[in-house]
Amino acid sequence: MNLFVLYLLLLKASVTSFSGLGSLPMVRNDFVVERHLMTDHQLNTAVVAGRTGPGPYGLYLVCVAYLVAGVPGAIAGFLALVTPAFLVIPLMRWIGARAEIPRIRSAIRGLLLASAGLLLSSSVPLTQDAVTGVFAAVLVVTSFLVLTFTRMDSAWLMLGAAVAGLATYFVV
Amino acid sequence: MAGVFFRVGNTTFGGGYVTMGMLGRELVDTRRWLTRENFDLAFALCRVTPGTNLLAFCVAVGALICGLAGAIAAVMALTIPSAAVAVLFMQGFESFQGNRIAMAAIGGTVAAVAGMMWSTIWTILRPHVGGLTRNIQVILIAGGAFLASWKYHITPLPIIIAGTLIGFLWKDSKKS
Repeated sequence: MNLFVLYLLLLKASVTSFSGLGSLPMVRNDFVVERHLMTDHQLNTAVVAGRTGPGPYGLYLVCVAYLVAGVPGAIAGFLALVTPAFLVIPLMRWIGARAEIPRIRSAIRGLLLASAGLLLSSSVPLTQDAVTGVFAAVLVVTSFLVLTFTRMDSAWLMLGAAVAGLATYFVV
Repeated sequence: MAGVFFRVGNTTFGGGYVTMGMLGRELVDTRRWLTRENFDLAFALCRVTPGTNLLAFCVAVGALICGLAGAIAAVMALTIPSAAVAVLFMQGFESFQGNRIAMAAIGGTVAAVAGMMWSTIWTILRPHVGGLTRNIQVILIAGGAFLASWKYHITPLPIIIAGTLIGFLWKDSKKS
């Protein structure tokens, strides 16, 4: 497949979504249904790979592009993923210059509070999924307390949690 | 700065919100490279920028700290290593999924990520709490957004637009 076409297809999916996995319906339509470039199973694997590692969930686009056209495809997918992010610069200049206007400040505050509510709705199922027993519940609470009330680096916390997970596997 | 984005972005699991929270902790609280107001601005605007929110956040914060070069450095440092990991992970996915030791380690990190998410919510809401009117706003907008998404499965964009409109119409006289 032509790399530029691949880039444009993924850019279309990326630029018309507002969250990491928001582009999934369009990607499925273009790559699985219309062009038969991959199967649903391959698409699912790409999504899981994007979600399991560090970084944004939208990284699954790079995996999709890799499946279609190898490493050059992955580079095209990467570029399609990061291109729309730069739209925030003119947006920030325009809003930032008006951030002291009380109404604009209040609108930003409203947006922020709505985002916190959305994050809350994502956190509840994730917490339910994560709390598989007393030990996991203790890890959740410890993680919250450490990050909220100390200055410990989150990388150490992640490492400690992985070691704790391993310890439970070998001990229990 | 690229080093901070590389370290935090590639060791934090759980998606964009958690990573933004951890970056905020590092850049605002620990290093003081960014004011809380600028963090809030970047966090708010990345939600209305097309594409992946976290990448828009990196561009916004990178640009605020070091201009366009900072924006490019931030997004590259955060994304290139994790993109490579995602591709490698996809290649070995079947065997990795069957490895119980690897899954036990991932189970531990999933629990830590849940705690990180609650810490991020706390960090976002804390500066906006205080005073009856502001508390009512927090409960109404954040609580309403939670209910709309959790109970009625409304997609994020209309919720974000509604929250912004309520904020715009309900002017807050006090600075956060």
